[in-house]
Amino acid sequence: MTDAPERSPGSRTPPLPDEAAVIERAAAGDRTAFTQLMDHYQSACYGLAWRLLGDADQAADATQDAFLHAYRAMRSYRGGVFRSWLLRITANASYDILRRAQRRPASPLPDPEEGAPELPDPVAVNPVVEATKSELYRHLEAALQVLPPDQRTAVVLCDVYGMDYNEVAAMTASALGTVKSRIHRGRLRLRELLAEHRELFTG
Amino acid sequence: MLIPNHPDDERLAALASADADATADAELTSHVASCARCAETVTELGALRAALADLPDLRPHRPLRLLTDATDAADAPAPGGADRLARWVRRVFAPVVTAGAALAMVGLVGTTAPLLGAGAGGAAPAFQDAAQESAGGADAGGEGVAAPAASETDERNGEEGEVMNLNTFDDRQVEAGRDGDALTTLPAERSPWPMVLFSGVALVVFALLLRWIVVPRAG
Repeated sequence: MTDAPERSPGSRTPPLPDEAAVIERAAAGDRTAFTQLMDHYQSACYGLAWRLLGDADQAADATQDAFLHAYRAMRSYRGGVFRSWLLRITANASYDILRRAQRRPASPLPDPEEGAPELPDPVAVNPVVEATKSELYRHLEAALQVLPPDQRTAVVLCDVYGMDYNEVAAMTASALGTVKSRIHRGRLRLRELLAEHRELFTG
Repeated sequence: MLIPNHPDDERLAALASADADATADAELTSHVASCARCAETVTELGALRAALADLPDLRPHRPLRLLTDATDAADAPAPGGADRLARWVRRVFAPVVTAGAALAMVGLVGTTAPLLGAGAGGAAPAFQDAAQESAGGADAGGEGVAAPAASETDERNGEEGEVMNLNTFDDRQVEAGRDGDALTTLPAERSPWPMVLFSGVALVVFALLLRWIVVPRAG
């Protein structure tokens, strides 16, 4: 376990203002346009990889693998939300690394304490609300890392990144019922883990 | 302890996800509508989902390679292969070096232990004898080298030892050298330890070279 990631300013990355044009150029082989897209979405991809893998170096490797896959697949990109397309590629790259790590029992499991990201104080637009959110994010991230990998993967993909059950099932090569069960059990476990901080998310 | 009347927690979680089979379950929904405990569970699970959906993106802890390197690798004949090899080398490097060092250490101990033992028990007294006996006359250097042979020959030749020492020095030196070689090299040739030592060192050197060649330098 290495440095914990920092919260990216502005919560989730919004699309680029002229994203459709940039995507078109990137799909036509314009490297500068592709770099611009990857630069813009790197925090989104890295965040997903880190949450799935719980390790900063592995997350960086997975994100870079995803960029490579995206570059190769760019010409066959057929529209849709670009961020979701890129996140699916990142999830696959991360899941590959996770599967390899699970096949090697010697690889250390992430330490939930060290794995908790140190989120900087949010901007003081509304200090009380922002501070509460930051505290909630910190506890949520730490609790996610305590979940068994199967449950964590399902909860992260479905609840944090909004993928549907079928997508998660296809990505993890699992039955639909198994995925649902993992998500439900994962959420119940999270609720137990966060019992002492209930007020943070039920507010 | 689960109260039999309450639905299973996973069913409540399914309801919180608004899964079709759960929302269509009249028994489940009517129970939750009338049970404060279960209603609270569903509400909390719903709030938890909302909080998870609101988690922010995370900034990488170090700058990522965005395109130049990535696309160069992508355009290479074996795309991704170099990266995968580098990762594999990084992973096996430490265990291989440790194993090599351990092997070399065992080989070193195995190789030097018999020599040290022989040095303490056999060669040293012979050297001392020769040095003492030839100290009286022979001023020519080299008793040390000729020591094992000199001690025996001097005893046999008595007073003539000094002359013999001077006259036959070269021959005996060669002979003694041959004896010495035989003493030190014969056991070593038969022993597996030098090979173990060599293998260990070779393993370490090979791992270092491979890492140096394959793993890209930070920078």
